[in-house]
Amino acid sequence: MNAHDEDRMKQLLKQAIRPAGDAEPEGDLWPAMLQRLDAQPAAPPWFDWALACGLAVFAVIFPAAIPVFLYYL
Amino acid sequence: MNTHPYVRAYLAGIFAPTLVLPLILVGFIVVRLVLAAPFPIERFLVFPMALVPTLFGLWNMLYLASHERLHQSIGVHGMVLPILGAPLGALLASCLGVLEFGAHGVTYFQYVHVPYVVLPLLVPAAMAAYYLVWKYVVGFLNRTLGIA
Repeated sequence: MNAHDEDRMKQLLKQAIRPAGDAEPEGDLWPAMLQRLDAQPAAPPWFDWALACGLAVFAVIFPAAIPVFLYYL
Repeated sequence: MNTHPYVRAYLAGIFAPTLVLPLILVGFIVVRLVLAAPFPIERFLVFPMALVPTLFGLWNMLYLASHERLHQSIGVHGMVLPILGAPLGALLASCLGVLEFGAHGVTYFQYVHVPYVVLPLLVPAAMAAYYLVWKYVVGFLNRTLGIA
């Protein structure tokens, strides 16, 4: 590889790799991280509530099923 | 915490039934002492005390092993377990005399009568209960123990 090839390779590499620019973040990232850590977990979807309500209704209508359920859990 | 993931999966799996077991034991002891109902407690306890936690643990290990390939949700994975466990439990209960088949229904523990009409409803109800338990209890433990 002669000097011309090396220059050509450098030029190609500079074109391919985006310049890093300013390495510092635009702002302080820690408050956003704290906010994310403090965020409440997502509420259960309506389908899960419907299932839980259905199970409660089933237990009220067929209370004999409760010990059977406990046997299998 | 990257070591022994299957041991952690097993421990997370057995947590829920192990938590429920003392409640079952207390409930049935109270019923037996207060109502003097002739329940064969020692026979009844075999399935929930010995087999159900083991099934939960092994099922959670299977979830860990298959999740990368199947990408199934943990709720759906747990929902399938009653299809495997219910016949096994019924067979064991029948062999131990805890479950008796009658003309119009089955009788659990010589006391709880479940008509045959209700039995088909028990399967989807059990699947729904298992779905919720696996999604919220086992899933939470899996995340806490760094499995999922």
